[in-house]
Formats: sequence, C-alpha cells, structure tokens
Amino acid sequence: MQQILNFLIKYRNLLLYLFLLVIALVFTVQSHNYHRNTFIHSTGRITGSFMDTRSGIYDYFDLQDQNQRLSEENARLRMRLLELADSLPGPEQTTYFSDSLPYTIQPARVIKNDYYKTDNYITIDIGMEQGVEPDMGVIAPTGIVGIVDIASDRYARVISILNSQMSLNAQIKGTSTIGSLKWEGKDPYVMSLQDVPRLAQVKKGDTIITGRQSTTFPPDILIGTVKDARLVENGSRYQIDVALFNDMTDLGYVSVIKNRDKAARQVIDTLGTNE
Amino acid sequence: MNSSFLNNLLRFVVLLLAQLFLFDQINFMGYINPMVYLLFLVLYPLENKPAYFMLVAFFLGLIMDTFQDTGGAHAAACLTLAFTRPFWLRLVFGEGYAMKNIKLLRSPLDRLLLFLILCVNVHHLVFFGLVIFNNQQIIYTMKLTLVVGLASLVVNSLFLLLFKPKFKS
Repeated sequence: MQQILNFLIKYRNLLLYLFLLVIALVFTVQSHNYHRNTFIHSTGRITGSFMDTRSGIYDYFDLQDQNQRLSEENARLRMRLLELADSLPGPEQTTYFSDSLPYTIQPARVIKNDYYKTDNYITIDIGMEQGVEPDMGVIAPTGIVGIVDIASDRYARVISILNSQMSLNAQIKGTSTIGSLKWEGKDPYVMSLQDVPRLAQVKKGDTIITGRQSTTFPPDILIGTVKDARLVENGSRYQIDVALFNDMTDLGYVSVIKNRDKAARQVIDTLGTNE
Repeated sequence: MNSSFLNNLLRFVVLLLAQLFLFDQINFMGYINPMVYLLFLVLYPLENKPAYFMLVAFFLGLIMDTFQDTGGAHAAACLTLAFTRPFWLRLVFGEGYAMKNIKLLRSPLDRLLLFLILCVNVHHLVFFGLVIFNNQQIIYTMKLTLVVGLASLVVNSLFLLLFKPKFKS
C-alpha cells in the first residue's frame, strides 16, 4: 500500500498529464467522427456571442463584395421568377408564403469559417429558436456549403463540405449519372466525385449539381464544374475532380434549407432497403 | 492575490482576446494565423506547482477548442507544452534553473528566443498532428507546423520585445 502511494506521489505530474491528455484525445477523436455529438463545440451562448461580435467587426471590410454577390443572386432569382410567372397559380406572394412548398429557406450569417483542417466546421448565427435542426442543408448564393450538425438556441454548427466525413449525393447535369462527392483534404476549391461508373459520359467543364437521392438538399443546386477525370480501381470507376463554384474561404450570407418531406422520404428509403 | 497572480490573469485574458479577435482573423495566405495565446504558457511563472500549470494549460486549450471546433487539439497541445516545459527550461537555462530564481522576462533575449522556438515547435507539432489527424499527410502536417510556427514565432517575438523590461546589467 505504502509503495503504491509512493508511486502515485512520485509520478503524480506524469499521471495528471496522461489523464488530461486522454481526455483531450477523446475530444479530438470525437471531433473527427461524423454525427457524434461532441462536448466541445462553438455553439454555446458565450462562444457564439463572442464570435458574433467578432464577425460584426470584420464583416465591415467585406460589405461591398457581399452586397454585390447578394444583388447578383437577386437578379438571377428574379429572372427565374419571370420565367415562371406565367405558370404560377396566383400572385407571387401567395406562393411564397403558402405551406404547400416542399422547401423553406431561412437566411443566416456565417460567424466562423474554417478550411485548412481535415474536418472543418462553420458556425452560423441562427439556431433552434429560428427552427434550425440537425441535418438541414446549407447553401450559399453560388452553391452548397454544408449540413447542420449541432443546433443550440441561438447558434448552429454546420459541417462544411470541406470535411473528411462529408459524403453527398451529386449528379452530372443533363445526365442521370450520379456519384458521391467527397473532400480529399488540402485544397478548399476542389472536391472529388467518386464511384462514377466507367461508362458514364464525362466531359471537362460539365456542371455538377446535387442529386435527387439527397434528402438534405433540393435537387439541381449548383456545386461545381468537372476539372479533371481519371479512371481508378483498375479502370472500373471514374474519379472526377470538381472545381467548386463557391469560394469556401469567403462565406458571408448563407441559406438554411428545411425539407418538408424529409421524414416521409426517409421512411420510404428504409422500406426499400429492407426488402 | 499578489501582483504576480494578477499579472498572470491579465496576461491570460489579454492574450486570449488578442488571439480570438485579431490573430484568428489574419488568414495570411489563406491559412496562416499566428498563435499568440501560447505566450501565456511560455511566460507562466516558474515557481508555481506543475499540477496547477497543467490544469490551467488544459483549460486554456479547451477554451480555444470551443472557439475553433478542434475537439481537443489545442488542449492536448497546451498540456504537452506545459508538461514538457521544465525539460526545455533545463535545456536552455541549465540544470539549476529552479535554484537561480530566474524571471523569464528579464532573462537574456537569445535564451528567451531559443526557449520560445522550442515551445512553439512542441505546441504546433501536437496541434497540427491532431487537427490533420491523418498519417498519410505527415508532410502537410510538417508544412503547417513550419509555416504557421514561423508566423507565431515572429509575432510572439514582437510581443516579447514589447513587454520585456529594459535590460539592467
């Protein structure tokens, strides 16, 4: 007994170090796992309000650029609206505020963004009070951004598409070829579209959009263009480098998408796989 | 509540705020954000108990982790720096550093810089190792450690020069 006590006293610093190190490593490993609710995250009230203030200051340097982007998006949307105007059943307002739309969109501001790590996260300034829930999709004016991971009262954390755990259903525009979109790490402007069959028609410059199998994102949201394609796994599949439309290193305002039919579609999906 | 404690507390708060509000937003060349908060650990008083020091380092790291969503990478890096600091002190200031009652800020600049280099290296290596967390990207980890470490070193040295009392020898 005496010896054990002596041992503990002699090595107490080492033991304390190892104990705390194990805690830190557990947190780290958790943070590299998808959908493991971590203990240490940036959506707390204090952390969130700090970052809110910070981005309030730094956003001033970027105002003109953000305005430009938003007004460009406005113009694009207005053009699509004019195109649809004939086929809309009533005045434009009734359509926008009716409950019959499958997707509802909520604007948000990015208050923290990362892109040099293996697993990057974004923090936005709306949370459960505004109806944000985990697994909702997040898009920017020019393309997809990520998926909501943790939502607290006033802030939410988004898994960036620049995260090694991210895998998205994507499609080559104009064809029915689908694949899964992943990030290889390092380059924040390029992602890779994997598991594309060898017989698919792939051309440089083709547009990549979100696929119809995704329950998180509406179909036909822009992602990027084909930059390079090569055959992998003994030539059985394509791996396609996708240059993103979105500049993930410079995010200002984003939209959080809620899918009304998500629960229903997920039930149908599980029915399919059980057979 | 002596002045050393207050001094320390002030340094903790100021460096943390400087890190969060200023140095985390630099994004020089896209990803280079010098880390100044670890200067707190470098300059932490020598005479305090190592166990306290490690606990303080751990919580400082956790605070940084909550802001950067890095899990426990900052905590592990700070903790390792705190645990290995006596070893680097012995290396730089000689075997009897504890006896000599050294004040770190008043020690010669060359020794202080050498000590800083060692500390920054240990911290950044552990930090980026855990952030990248991929043994196939060791080269990338090394590159980040080197480049960001260099930036941290420059900024921390400037801080040291600013706060170092004038030499009286």
